[in-house]
Amino acid sequence: MGALGHFLERQGIPTTGISLVREHTETIRPPRALWVTFELGRPLGIPDAAPFQRRVVKAALDLLQRTDGPLIADYPEHVEEEADFTGWACPINLAPRPSDTLAAEIDRLAVWYDRAVATLGRTTVGVSGLDMPAAGRLIVQAMEGALPPAQSLKEAIDDLRAYYLESASAFPDPGSSKTRKAWFWDETILASTLLALQPRLAVSAEPQHRILANLTLIPATERYRLARS
Amino acid sequence: MVKRLSDMPEVEAQHLRRIECPTYDATPLLPGKPLAGRRVAIVSTAGLHRRGDRPFQPGDGSYRIIAAETPANELVMSHISVNFDRTGFQQDLNVAFPIDRLRELVADGEVGSMAAVHYSFMGAFPPTAAEPHALHLAGLLKADKVDAALLVPV
Repeated sequence: MGALGHFLERQGIPTTGISLVREHTETIRPPRALWVTFELGRPLGIPDAAPFQRRVVKAALDLLQRTDGPLIADYPEHVEEEADFTGWACPINLAPRPSDTLAAEIDRLAVWYDRAVATLGRTTVGVSGLDMPAAGRLIVQAMEGALPPAQSLKEAIDDLRAYYLESASAFPDPGSSKTRKAWFWDETILASTLLALQPRLAVSAEPQHRILANLTLIPATERYRLARS
Repeated sequence: MVKRLSDMPEVEAQHLRRIECPTYDATPLLPGKPLAGRRVAIVSTAGLHRRGDRPFQPGDGSYRIIAAETPANELVMSHISVNFDRTGFQQDLNVAFPIDRLRELVADGEVGSMAAVHYSFMGAFPPTAAEPHALHLAGLLKADKVDAALLVPV
């Protein structure tokens, strides 16, 4: 991110930016950065909190007046971690059963996904161009030994993860984003399938499969947590 | 609350420490007009694009264009990393791409105007892959009379 500040400012476009990782910004030394202590993925801090987000944007833009850089300003507001509903259990029984399938799980979530889309007014599903049953079939096909191209697999998985997590946000008691992510990794057939697929991708002759397996399939925090449990 | 890498869970900090950051001998700093007279573009590195645009791929240093009037429901994210939260973005586009906040600041007169087109890269790019695209982008921003870029990571 900070590299873009160098590139654009050098070409005559003044820049300012948000920094989520202070150490990175201290190394790259872009012209101006507002360092925030928010969760990665949430550079404006809090979803659906327009006044809060506006203050962050304004603070970043106000740095444009300064030419005493490279500078890093510390944003004074912080976000407390979402309440952790210890003991939160998915109210919809999605726990894998012996005869259950990924296709059936995807199908069961459809009504909750529709509800989420109606509530949110939008969806972030749609990178792969596949519908969700087709995305599921691609993963099943990979598990059966016919590995699709890594990019197609990654896009299908991204869509399915978004589909699951958006669906879970519409459950009667949706918990917090943290509990929903834990639900995804601990309780869904999709996640257990991805975990089973990972070692197969890791030994593929295709380097892109190995990148997917080792870096971009399972979050580092989940790999660590699951390895310990 | 996340503070420094040393305050993060070690596994997350370790991942972030492994990311190679480029260094530069000098940092350019341009003076400019007061904010109320500036035209601002958002340049995100969240790997955002319209549904149907080419998704980002590993090592991809190119950008996608996001017209200011793009409906929120048309924006998707194909960042290659899985090591950041996406549920915030799923709930509210603006937590990663503050287009409505910028629009409000323009309406309030705090910012002069908003660019007609905004941009997204996918932040896991090697800087050498992004540089030629960024140089091209600078020309496009000037053509849109933009005199401030707000860089938003993810």
